[in-house]
Amino acid sequence: MGNGMIIIIDELNRHKYASILEDMYKLRARVFQDRLGWEVKVTDGKEIDEFDDLQPTHVVSIDDDGDVVGCMRLLQTTGPHMLADVFYSILEGEPPLRSAQVWEATRFCVDTAKLSGGKTRNSISYVTSEVMIGAFEYAQKAGVLDAVAVIDPVMNRVLKRSGNAPYDYLGNAKPMGKVTAMAALMDCSDERIESVRAFSGIRHDVFATDEDIHARRSARMNRQKAPASKPIGDLHDYFAQQMRDANDAEEVDAVKRLMQAVEEQLSDGGYQPERRHS
Amino acid sequence: MKLIDLSSVQDVDQHADTFLDELCQLLGFDYASYAAANPISGDVRGYANYPEEWKLHYTKRGFHHVDPTLYTSAKSIAPVDWGRFEHDGKFNKVFRDAHDFGISDRGLTVPIRGPYGDCGLLSVTRNCTLSEWDKLKKDVVGDLQISAVHIHDNVMQTGVLTKALSTPALSSREKEILQWVAVGKSQQDIGDILSISHRTVEVHLRSGREKLGALSTPQAVGRAIGLNLIMPG
Repeated sequence: MGNGMIIIIDELNRHKYASILEDMYKLRARVFQDRLGWEVKVTDGKEIDEFDDLQPTHVVSIDDDGDVVGCMRLLQTTGPHMLADVFYSILEGEPPLRSAQVWEATRFCVDTAKLSGGKTRNSISYVTSEVMIGAFEYAQKAGVLDAVAVIDPVMNRVLKRSGNAPYDYLGNAKPMGKVTAMAALMDCSDERIESVRAFSGIRHDVFATDEDIHARRSARMNRQKAPASKPIGDLHDYFAQQMRDANDAEEVDAVKRLMQAVEEQLSDGGYQPERRHS
Repeated sequence: MKLIDLSSVQDVDQHADTFLDELCQLLGFDYASYAAANPISGDVRGYANYPEEWKLHYTKRGFHHVDPTLYTSAKSIAPVDWGRFEHDGKFNKVFRDAHDFGISDRGLTVPIRGPYGDCGLLSVTRNCTLSEWDKLKKDVVGDLQISAVHIHDNVMQTGVLTKALSTPALSSREKEILQWVAVGKSQQDIGDILSISHRTVEVHLRSGREKLGALSTPQAVGRAIGLNLIMPG
């Protein structure tokens, strides 16, 4: 099983990833409303705006626990996008770039509450690097040469320190909630990808397979069904490991059957799935 | 790329087929087509260099109502390989017949989203092995992006209204860089003069070219002078 944590979700495959998108919108609400204080619209704990209705592509990072820990939204600059229609104050009256070979990256964030410092697999720096590698490789495949990313100064520092410094900025940083927003330019080149890989030590294919994602998300859901206080709690780590080690859908199903059997044995009232509430 | 510059012709309608022919020859495709949905009327307008009998059959059978290269590709920001389409009833309807007319289901559609909710779709196809196809795609996808935005913008600007709305909005940086190109400076020189990286020069130059509907930098300079955006060099 690969180590990659990244999935590319677009309008063509989003029906397969509905619950992941929900979690992604929740992560965005926690980051952009709660932490950064941007004036974003949050409904039911989810931050969704009109640009999400324009069928953008989302680059999403799913960690080994099955949690969404990072994301970025991509739009073409030939059509409606945020720098043209929302963040234009950054450009100080100048028209935005418009090119089929430049994409705009917005809502770029990682789960700083869950992730740690340092450079390990569950660090801010690692997840940021993997999201960026995933986005650059996806852009390259599309014939896209540069990205303009709307970011805050903290993200800007993280990028600079991870072999991924923007080569320039458009306009000037402008206040946005508790922090400022800036428009950074990054080339989607082999050199940049190599630089980020060298810094982060990420040598594997960053894209997760559908089986990986399925295993991580199933383990997560089962964990939510059976919190630590339940009889299965002690076995939770064991099953999570089994899920991670599963090689295909069949093995995943086998793990799930075993979990259910154990759960039924251990609980008095038989197996009763709990409703997810989050 | 040496393609006919659609922004320099009087009538895009008359030259779109030539553009598609040249594109196929230059990049190595069997056939190419371009289609755009009018966001207001919902009409599909298009050009293709497919065999006449296939075009007739396609129109007669009303395939433009179900063709996934149009309806599915328009939902993506990235070029869509036809291999991604679900092989559902709509797909089979179009591609089984296409096969009978000698048209491969090995293809790619580049969607271009425009400012008015318009979306243009440049499709190319080639009958070849998967490995040849993957290599070809990697080599030419950038050129396909440039071609797609060029034909889309020029087709969209043939409407009287859109023409009036679409005086190119160049930024000061884009104009400044085009001005230095007009007096004969290289990208490297311009970077030094303006104290910016050559990559910054390049990204603004590319954006300026596309806004002016031009395929090459000299064309862009000519057009910018014509529109009084910069001074002759």
